[in-house]
Amino acid sequence: MPHVLVIEDDEITAREIVLELATHGISANRVHNGSDGLMAAQEPHYDAITLDLMLPGMDGLSLVKQLRERGITTPVLMISALGDVDERVRGLRAGGDDYLTKPFAPDEMAARIEVLLRRQQPAQTRLRVGDLELDLITHVARRGGRELSLLPTEYRLLEFLMRYPGQVLTRAMIFESVWGLRFDPGTNLIDVHIARLRRKVDAEGETSLIRTVRGSGYRLG
Amino acid sequence: MDNVSPSRREPSPHWRATTSRLLLGYGVFFVIWGTLLLGSIYWETTQYLALRTDRDLTHQIDHLRHVDRAHLAAMLDDYIALEDTSYNAWGLFDAQGHWINGDIARLPPALKIDGSPIRIEARDIIRQQALPNVDQLHLIAAHIDDGNVLALAHTTGVTAHVGSIIKHALWWGLSFTLVPGLLGGLILNIGPRRRIRQIKAATQAIVRGDLRKRLPISKRDDEVDRLAMIVNDMLDQIERLMGEVKGVCDNIAHDLRTPLTRLRSQLYRVQQQMRENDPHQALVECCVGDIDDVLGRFRALLRISELEDRRRREGFVAVDLGETLQHVHELYAPLAEDKQQVLELHIEPGLVAQADPDLLFEAISNLVANAIKFTPNGGTVAMSAVRVASERARIEVADSGPGIPAEERHAIWQRFYRGEGSRETTGHGLGLSIVAAIAKLHDFELSIDGGEGGARIGMECALNAPLPPT
Repeated sequence: MPHVLVIEDDEITAREIVLELATHGISANRVHNGSDGLMAAQEPHYDAITLDLMLPGMDGLSLVKQLRERGITTPVLMISALGDVDERVRGLRAGGDDYLTKPFAPDEMAARIEVLLRRQQPAQTRLRVGDLELDLITHVARRGGRELSLLPTEYRLLEFLMRYPGQVLTRAMIFESVWGLRFDPGTNLIDVHIARLRRKVDAEGETSLIRTVRGSGYRLG
Repeated sequence: MDNVSPSRREPSPHWRATTSRLLLGYGVFFVIWGTLLLGSIYWETTQYLALRTDRDLTHQIDHLRHVDRAHLAAMLDDYIALEDTSYNAWGLFDAQGHWINGDIARLPPALKIDGSPIRIEARDIIRQQALPNVDQLHLIAAHIDDGNVLALAHTTGVTAHVGSIIKHALWWGLSFTLVPGLLGGLILNIGPRRRIRQIKAATQAIVRGDLRKRLPISKRDDEVDRLAMIVNDMLDQIERLMGEVKGVCDNIAHDLRTPLTRLRSQLYRVQQQMRENDPHQALVECCVGDIDDVLGRFRALLRISELEDRRRREGFVAVDLGETLQHVHELYAPLAEDKQQVLELHIEPGLVAQADPDLLFEAISNLVANAIKFTPNGGTVAMSAVRVASERARIEVADSGPGIPAEERHAIWQRFYRGEGSRETTGHGLGLSIVAAIAKLHDFELSIDGGEGGARIGMECALNAPLPPT
């Protein structure tokens, strides 16, 4: 069971995070302020950290900076009430791995934590989900024995889905990771791209590998 | 083309300026006053001179009529010689009025012998060649002691000369005061007119939406400055009020986000716990969708505020416009394809502008998404980036949709504005406001027109030197 350290001073938010993570089978330990957070974060058994950027004692940015300076690479999901684009850039530059704006949908938060947990897997050259196979070196995708002809965008989209199989990926996460963009592109833009990829991945008669998760996003496998 | 900036009016003519009008008024007044003054001096002087001449003549003839006849000729010669040659004249006539001697050749019937002097044209009475440059004369005649008639004439030349001196004085006086006065007025006008132009420029920026701009105030503290200060006070107030309105909107959006997000997560949890075939599944999903929609609007609203408040241009880098368009094209091509639309792309290579790459992408994305949304199935959406001047490029998104009526074109950049024809389409009407906010941050000039049937939205920007090949 993965362990997550929740550094959050707001009671309600903290409870929400802990509860939501529990439903995803992730145990969470919560601390209230920055200095406690810095201490706790150095313990080796945490797999990820959620970090509020506005903390009493020590602010989140300096905390994550200090962690990285001490060589601790535990992935950090920064959570902030500040939606400012620059704030996000600053956070990521300081050493954060992902950024979420308050208020957030708990499932979005959990999905992001799960992605961060998976990110630590060793580098692979080949991804495999069911009978779907992706060669990261030759950029060739196959389902069964059939080679899929993918456009560059479709390849990147499939790669992202295959890196996190069985896991809910929200539209925002897909848009951020595949296109590197963070704005609201409208609900159906991602759906249209997924639909095209689906048509290529699922030949007639095959079960659909890319599933729609109601109210959230998509899941492969 | 409907430009978003207000239409420019021709500058008012020079004479409309207050200084010019005042000056013109004073000029006319001065001419009238000067003419009246000098005219009265002229009239008084000539009257006086005429009187003097007549008195002299009367006096002289009274003296000469009693002179001994033997001396008369010499006296008369002296009389002529004492003055300028063309000044005086005399004539001697017999009792019947026949000419005997002298330059005066005849006696006019209007002249009464032994009467008072009259004024007469010189050529009517003077022998030819005598008194060449004389026009008018004062003439008097009297019986002398031997019964003959003696006539004496004085030119009115002095009077005429005085008149012309006064006329000259008037002419020069007016020239020396009016010409430099008017010129000076024009020069004085340059300053105020330049300031009016500055004020106009500042106002145009304010009209375009930059409420932080103020009218320029000089150190002179003159009436223009006072007026500008009054307007600036007013602008302070307007800016404050606008800020309050925006702040209230933002606060509502900001404060409602938290409870709405909570509501959404609770609904989501309910949905997750439902069985797959629960009849309420669809209902709950619909609710979650609606909340997502509201949250989306709030996000967009707050994003606009965030963009509007951003004055810094940190994060601006050289961006290849063609590449950006290419990426937007890749992102939206499937969406257009789904609607059987053709998404055209026309780019000129080497167009590089200073911009925030993500925001530029977002702006163009919004334009394209909007065009795809409002263009019916089977239509065309064309994206292009072309050089319009040596240092300027135009990014354009044109569609074959219903277009935007000319009277609505100004309003589409406003928050929540949605055209009459778009009620049935989904969307929160904030996309173009985001575009406007991004364009403003970048100093891009937005324009909108009909194009070829549909809507055509253009964004003009200043260009950098092309990027070195990488």
